[in-house]
Amino acid sequence: MRSKNVVYLILILGLLSVYNLIFAQDAPEVSEKGKEVYEESCAHCHGTEGRGDGSAAENLLPQPRDFTRGLYKIRSTESGQLPTDQDLFDIITEGMPGSSMPGWETSLKADERWEVVAYIKTFYDGFKESETPPRQISLEGKIPYSEESIEIGKGLYTQFACFECHGQVGRGDGTSAPTLQDEWGFQSWPANLAQGWNFRGGNDIDDIYKRFIGGIAGSAMPMFEDPAFGLTIEQSIRYNELDNKVEMTEAEEEEYNQLDEKMGNAFEILDLMAEGSADEEQKQSYATAMKAFYEKSWHLANYVKSLSSEKRPEPAIGKNVLRSQYTEDDLPQIMDAAWDTLDSSYFPLVGQIIIEPRQFNPTIDSVNAKSFYNDTEVAFLFTWDDRTNNTEVKENEDTGKTFEDAIAIQFPVKIPKSPTAEKPYFLWGGRKAVYLWEWKASAADKITELTAKGINNAEEQEIQGDLQVEGKYTDGQYNLWIKRALKTDDKKDLQLEPGVFVPIAFSAWDGANGDVGTKRVISSWYSFVLEPVPSSRRFIYPPLVALLSFGLLVGLREFVRQRNT
Amino acid sequence: MKTKMLTCLTLLLACGFGLFVFADSHEKEEDMNKLVFPKAYKTTAVSNGGKISGVVKFDGEVPEMKKLEITKDKAVCGVTDKFDEALVVGEGNVLKNTIVYLMDISQGKDFDKEAKPELDQKNCRFNPHVQLIPVGTALTVLNNDKATHNVHIFGTSKNNTSVNKQQTKNRKKMRLTGAKGAEGPVEVKCDIHGWMKAWVAYVPHPYFAVTNEKGEFTLEDVPPGDYKLGYWHEACGTNNKEPVKVTVAAGGEVKQDFTLKLKEAK
Ligand code: HEC
Ligand code: HEC
Repeated sequence: MRSKNVVYLILILGLLSVYNLIFAQDAPEVSEKGKEVYEESCAHCHGTEGRGDGSAAENLLPQPRDFTRGLYKIRSTESGQLPTDQDLFDIITEGMPGSSMPGWETSLKADERWEVVAYIKTFYDGFKESETPPRQISLEGKIPYSEESIEIGKGLYTQFACFECHGQVGRGDGTSAPTLQDEWGFQSWPANLAQGWNFRGGNDIDDIYKRFIGGIAGSAMPMFEDPAFGLTIEQSIRYNELDNKVEMTEAEEEEYNQLDEKMGNAFEILDLMAEGSADEEQKQSYATAMKAFYEKSWHLANYVKSLSSEKRPEPAIGKNVLRSQYTEDDLPQIMDAAWDTLDSSYFPLVGQIIIEPRQFNPTIDSVNAKSFYNDTEVAFLFTWDDRTNNTEVKENEDTGKTFEDAIAIQFPVKIPKSPTAEKPYFLWGGRKAVYLWEWKASAADKITELTAKGINNAEEQEIQGDLQVEGKYTDGQYNLWIKRALKTDDKKDLQLEPGVFVPIAFSAWDGANGDVGTKRVISSWYSFVLEPVPSSRRFIYPPLVALLSFGLLVGLREFVRQRNT
Repeated sequence: MKTKMLTCLTLLLACGFGLFVFADSHEKEEDMNKLVFPKAYKTTAVSNGGKISGVVKFDGEVPEMKKLEITKDKAVCGVTDKFDEALVVGEGNVLKNTIVYLMDISQGKDFDKEAKPELDQKNCRFNPHVQLIPVGTALTVLNNDKATHNVHIFGTSKNNTSVNKQQTKNRKKMRLTGAKGAEGPVEVKCDIHGWMKAWVAYVPHPYFAVTNEKGEFTLEDVPPGDYKLGYWHEACGTNNKEPVKVTVAAGGEVKQDFTLKLKEAK
């Protein structure tokens, strides 16, 4: 009996292993440690089975990566290739700025990160099946960053049609931007190239170059082949020039046709290469054409690099506080060159996630501000990037409901006695009230003054019209100019005095991103100050000091001389 | 004792099977909107084959075709009106762009080797809307517009069908290398002109047809035998759950019409 049981046991075990062989033959060797790390730190977003459907995934845009399809955006490898382990390790270490994917440099040890790399690879068989390591993008022939290269890159930006999605000056406001989707069917905003710090894969020139050459798999951003393949940079520029001419002379026409034919041939060779059926001569001309393409791509990368500051600007605290500059003249109007003389203060914004409905996927990065004042008035210029100009509520079958773009600038009703004294609650006040200027894109020359004691508890002030305002939208950017008297008759308004630090905060709405009501982006309290004037004393003091010191010197010399004698 | 062992075994197998089915159920769900392909297909000479033909009709209230909003490049794209082609119903309620095919054929004729599949882009519209491409055959994409397009095929990367390539106005022709495996239909989009949509299916054998304006389809040179006849339609879905059984006699002709309803809204 016993022995029989043992036989059954063996049989069952045997069957189990057969079962394993049949049904689970490609069950990967699971790294226990990697699995543990994954389930603890990653699964709530990426899902236990790596399908990108964790419990926290629902509200996120872009969605956490579905690892079962083997599509990775940030790679050092050529188009259509899988990432290297190092690529995965780096992205896990650094995270993906501009998305909810956090960096794990501080919260996971390096060996834990390597283990989790091995583990996420088990979700996609392709990693196991590929016999050869993925082909890496060569960085050979890099062209140094220079004004000249940037200029060439700028021309190529147009020829490569980047503007279709990224807009004329690169703020992600191209005419195709509102309808872009990723391969999972979710809205996918083109990067704002003027905010390189939000690039998923970093904004070093090499990073940018790799994104063109390797593509951003799964996103709407296409893989590029040279639009003027087979032409040198000079020829490309010439071709474009001719292409844009309304009328060509006979000679020009001939030149154009020649270039066109050259390109046509090169494209044919490109296709043959992809199919693996090019002959030696064709391979040769392919190599020449590719060299020119890589060269063009480096210029393009240099141009993209030039559009953004290296890092996210320092926020408006400490020495970066918004300081309104005194001028004796009239205050500048919205587009006056005078504004260019000031540095702007940077106010980072984040999604409002405290009160329902929340904004988990903010699209407005920040507000920038500058200010001038004179003896009677103060003027502000607020600037923020928004990819779309939404001036009304719209129902759209494809892109969903969109709302109106707007901004609100917030001050306390009572200016605290000292910078450390308690301020009203930063979300539109509470027990202590706040005073607000609310502007909407539908009425660019109107601003509403509000008093609020909570995010859902705002009231229009009775007396309006103390403010002059002008708003403009160009190339993916709002400019809002506001002018006001330093002191108004309305007791409920803010009264301004040089040298006094005034708390300031912002709310902004990107209608295309579904922002409305409490769903918005917000800042915490910052402050601004009317920079105390170089009052007239400034002009008396220096000569006075000079005179005094001169006198002192003379006196001293006299003294020394007398002592010596 | 024997019975005990048998119970044990059956239980075990049942468990195993259960697991297997369970593990696979997720994929099955997605597959309901895809074509069904045979495990293997062998080409042989077919003599005295039969023919399957019919008409696909639409059952239900025919919604008015939605006119697409042309949001950019109006000079090029706006010269013709464009409509959402997800449901194209002709006179007599006939349904265009339905794929009708044999699900389980394991041998038969070879593809027409001369055929060169093309996807045209003109006035910012893809043509044809639904197309069959033999596995391994290149697709030539034409750009007949003075505008930049990008051809974005939403395949799976497993078969290397996922493509997203820009085609600027300079590039009149672009060949996309053939797919490695059967798949589809998968969506084709131009992201730059968000309204441009089409479908391609990478098929492993030639017994596939797409219905024309009159809703007609024909499958010819079918080796005699019993088959499952399937369909796929963008808006009406598939009959993967209950394919139609047909018997083709040597030299015979089978008539099989279909009447489709809109997929139930999810
Ligand atoms: C808060 C949610 C969240 C958590 C937690 C999270 N991720 Fe992510 N992850 C994301 C999102 C969202 C993306 C996609 C970002 C995008 O597509 O721009 C992503 C993308 C990725 C990618 C794809 C990179 C590429 O090149 O496409 C990898 C790899 C990754 N995550 C690994 C991990 C690992 C490993 C962990 C745990 C240690 C983890 N993630 C934890 C949200 C998360
Ligand atoms: C069809 C629309 C489209 C076109 C054309 C396009 N892009 Fe993009 N681009 C995108 C989208 C969408 C993203 C965001 C990808 C993501 O993270 O999912 C993006 C992201 C980027 C990024 C950020 C990469 C990162 O690490 O986050 C850079 C840089 C960029 N594009 C440069 C370019 C340049 C240069 C061109 C022209 C050669 C170009 N793009 C053309 C849609 C486009």
